[in-house]
Amino acid sequence: MSIVLHDYELDSESYKVRLLLSVLSIAYQKVAVNVHPGQEQRSPSYLKLNPLGTLPILVDGETVLYEAEAIIAYLAKAYDPAKSWLPDDPAAFGKVMIWLAFASRDLAAANLARLHHMLEVPADAVEVGRASRAAFRVMDDHMTKRELGGASWFVGDHPTLAEIALFPAIALSRDFGIDHDEYPALRRWMRRVRTIPGFITMPGIPDYH
Amino acid sequence: MSFSAGWYAVAIAGGLEPGTSAGTRLFDKELVIWRDKDGASHAWEDRCPHRGMRLSFGFVRGNHIACLYHGWQFDEAGQCRYIPAHPKLDVPDTIKVARYPSVEAKGLIWVYSEMVAEAPVPAPEDGAATPVRSLYLERDPATVGFIIENGGAGPFEILSDSLFATNVEGAELLVALQPFTDDRTALHIVITSGDIAPAKIAVWAEELRAVLETVRPISSGDALLAERFAS
Ligand code: FES
Repeated sequence: MSIVLHDYELDSESYKVRLLLSVLSIAYQKVAVNVHPGQEQRSPSYLKLNPLGTLPILVDGETVLYEAEAIIAYLAKAYDPAKSWLPDDPAAFGKVMIWLAFASRDLAAANLARLHHMLEVPADAVEVGRASRAAFRVMDDHMTKRELGGASWFVGDHPTLAEIALFPAIALSRDFGIDHDEYPALRRWMRRVRTIPGFITMPGIPDYH
Repeated sequence: MSFSAGWYAVAIAGGLEPGTSAGTRLFDKELVIWRDKDGASHAWEDRCPHRGMRLSFGFVRGNHIACLYHGWQFDEAGQCRYIPAHPKLDVPDTIKVARYPSVEAKGLIWVYSEMVAEAPVPAPEDGAATPVRSLYLERDPATVGFIIENGGAGPFEILSDSLFATNVEGAELLVALQPFTDDRTALHIVITSGDIAPAKIAVWAEELRAVLETVRPISSGDALLAERFAS
């Protein structure tokens, strides 16, 4: 049985899954989907896997999953026996879930802003820019208070799925014209995320060598 | 009109860790601030002499900062020391990054707003301070300064056009204003005395930001503002 990820290299949602697969050292097979310009993810055969016509899609044996946050939650449940990425403790679990919901809802604007800039996906550039900044501010305020309380991560005392789900949008924000100048706590947090064993980048996120 | 050349706080000093860099703006000019491995901080024009890319996107290696794009490396004096495409080249002295005078005092990094070899006025004096946080406001510097000076955000003592003091639950705070761009302003907050958890002040700071952003930007024709800048 092997895991198959239907993936698009430039897609920040797919990157969340690649990042977690890498830090969990899970072997998998990557299928490159021709999103641009082919829109292959909306082809009839892909719509059978995912009626939403989006990526990523993960196939693990009989299990077919889509939505990055659902996939990373599944991978943590299935392949992280230490339960460190998706904590069992109810309060910690709930807090991680807040950030997973935030990543898929509030950071959708950032995702759209980036696609608008890079691939000319239709969007109100001013509005998605404003919404992105508002979301990044919420993250920076949170991490500012976490740091003042002696913490380094969004939830608890070690990295969780919150890091995986939140990192791509802010790390890629220069793709859509938002600098990191105004988010000092996120700048420091991003450096910490880069030190997680197995961390990988994607196009738009520089490798520091 | 508006703020004049001088020393401005641009960051919480402790927030810039050794071996890291950050971008910022002063009067809309792009700056890179970075701290070398030995702990010294630097404030430069955020432009690589090669093709003008922002150096703040790059990374610090030891006591050099390297540009992200083609890897040119610069030493603490801004002098280019290494060009990867020409590893054997003795880099000409003329390849240099322009620098700003900068100091660290009261837990903040201060930059003189002009690219001069030496600032014509003394740098801010050092003193004990506990860092809290920086705020980035979606309001222009004149409006933010005006509201603070006129009590629109609670009682503040006015130390200068860009420096304010206040008292929160028995703690003395210093609030330093950074004219970021024409329509954005940063405030850097440190505790100068009193025993209070910085996290509490961080909550106060979010409220301060909310108040300052509620006020609509003051138009340049505003009578009070005109009066303030009449001299
Ligand atoms: S632009 Fe900086 S090295 Fe080329």
